[in-house]
Amino acid sequence: MLQIGDVRVPVCHGVTRRSFLEAGATGLAGLSLPAVLSLQEAGAVESQKSQIRNCITIFLVGSPGHLDTWDMKPDAPAEIRGKFKPISTNAPGIEICEHFPLMARMMDKVALIRSLHHKTGATHENGQRWMMTGHDFNADSMKPHCGSVISRVFGSRGMLPASIMLPGKIGNTGSGPLHGQTAGYLGSAHEPFFLNSDPARSDFKVSDLTPPDGQSEFRINSRRNILKQLDDVQRRTETNSSLGRDTAYARAFNLLTSPEAKQAFNLAEESDKLRDRYGRNTLGQSCLMARRLIERGSRFVNVNHFDTVFGISCWDMHADGGSLNNTYADYERLLCPQFDLAFTALIEDLEQRGLLKDTVVCVLSEMGRTPGINPRGGRDHHPAAWTNFMAGGPIRGGQAIGSTDKTGARPQNNPIEPPQILASIYHAMGIDLDTTMMPGPGGRPIRLVEAEPIDQLFS
Amino acid sequence: MDQRFEGMPKAEIKVDGRKITRSHVSNDWGSQLLWEVRRGGEVVATVPARASDSYEITDPTPGQYEVVLQMFQYEGYEKDPTGKYTKSKFVEVSNKVVCTVG
Repeated sequence: MLQIGDVRVPVCHGVTRRSFLEAGATGLAGLSLPAVLSLQEAGAVESQKSQIRNCITIFLVGSPGHLDTWDMKPDAPAEIRGKFKPISTNAPGIEICEHFPLMARMMDKVALIRSLHHKTGATHENGQRWMMTGHDFNADSMKPHCGSVISRVFGSRGMLPASIMLPGKIGNTGSGPLHGQTAGYLGSAHEPFFLNSDPARSDFKVSDLTPPDGQSEFRINSRRNILKQLDDVQRRTETNSSLGRDTAYARAFNLLTSPEAKQAFNLAEESDKLRDRYGRNTLGQSCLMARRLIERGSRFVNVNHFDTVFGISCWDMHADGGSLNNTYADYERLLCPQFDLAFTALIEDLEQRGLLKDTVVCVLSEMGRTPGINPRGGRDHHPAAWTNFMAGGPIRGGQAIGSTDKTGARPQNNPIEPPQILASIYHAMGIDLDTTMMPGPGGRPIRLVEAEPIDQLFS
Repeated sequence: MDQRFEGMPKAEIKVDGRKITRSHVSNDWGSQLLWEVRRGGEVVATVPARASDSYEITDPTPGQYEVVLQMFQYEGYEKDPTGKYTKSKFVEVSNKVVCTVG
């Protein structure tokens, strides 16, 4: 038995101090939180923190058909224009789908980008990589998620992780594991924090903030005291790197016992009426959670609307009769109404709290869907044209940037590629892309994304 | 994770002449909300109810119109070969009111 300070610590061959620390922390907080916080003490390259705005992205996994939502072609033949009708909005000249009646009332705040396209494969993963990182890549050259870039360059603003993904990461969407939701070469310290729990459920818990069964706060604090005393004794022999890791563990403990962190994730503090306004479903409550997290210090929150395209009702409208059997009925009855309620509640809520001017809200997806309706009544993948949109911060709403041809098959003017969206997000957050660099592979300073912002969004 | 909806949405509706007004919907699942209008037991209209909290019966056909709010209850994406949901369905989320025309 080794005595360290007034703490008795068992030691034996094969057990290092490092593994002891990790075992202790793992038993308390699980693996993911220390991993997220580890090394996050490494400094930022650029220090313009006070000017940086926040960002909330809503990622519509599966990809809505642009012709059925935000780029309707009512004059096209029936087999192209689809089942839904357009409605006018409060932005002159802009029409959107009839199933977004609440959004139609706030189009003056929204800038549609109707000429998005990419030229790589028509898989979900291709589009996810483009839209989450601004790059396409393979397993040998992983690129960081934009939330990780923000975390690396600007750090966190308090107790909460800088980049958070709700409610969980994207899983199986058909063609491999590379979704663009990791920190890539920026390292584990800048991995997004994944909630991995559905905030709409009554038994909702954040696993990293919930001590394992049978562990009281007393036991947690006892372990923290042991770690502190171990640190005090051995600090002089440690490298800067491992000291940073220990600090990360200390932050994990702090987060675990922090009333502030627990409060951030506690949706029960919101009124029933506001929770209803967002919609009592996974998307709605995740959007509400996103607002709470931004309000309390997170810089970048991504909400994934669905974590797969298989065996659920989602945007991937193939109508294949099997596990991808989403149809117009799913759009009309579930998806469009859920989105309409949640998105408009988020914009309204941010504005009422004075947060919209400091928060960029982006609605993103992997691609569009084919102009021609398939024989089963669905639409298939179409990366050659689609619509996404932005609001909040310095974004000028009430406009549609770019357009597609008469069938929605290709961009007709002002074609936009995914890296321009990422550049626009960074610019909208207040980042000067010409002067802000981040460490790339091997530590070489690189630009955040190789593209320029879309000027029209800001003019 | 597939979505699981808990509790039941609930709203109160009132009739004044031909105009029906709804309250806030509590425990709102956020799915499609409709006015279902029946005359003589037959459904004569289903009208989207999200955009406005009121609905006016404009059908001049004389008769007793029964109106209720319905919301789509998602229980799964599965559909039969005709495209009808096999588990998910619309459920009533309000009281019913009756309006007489003619």
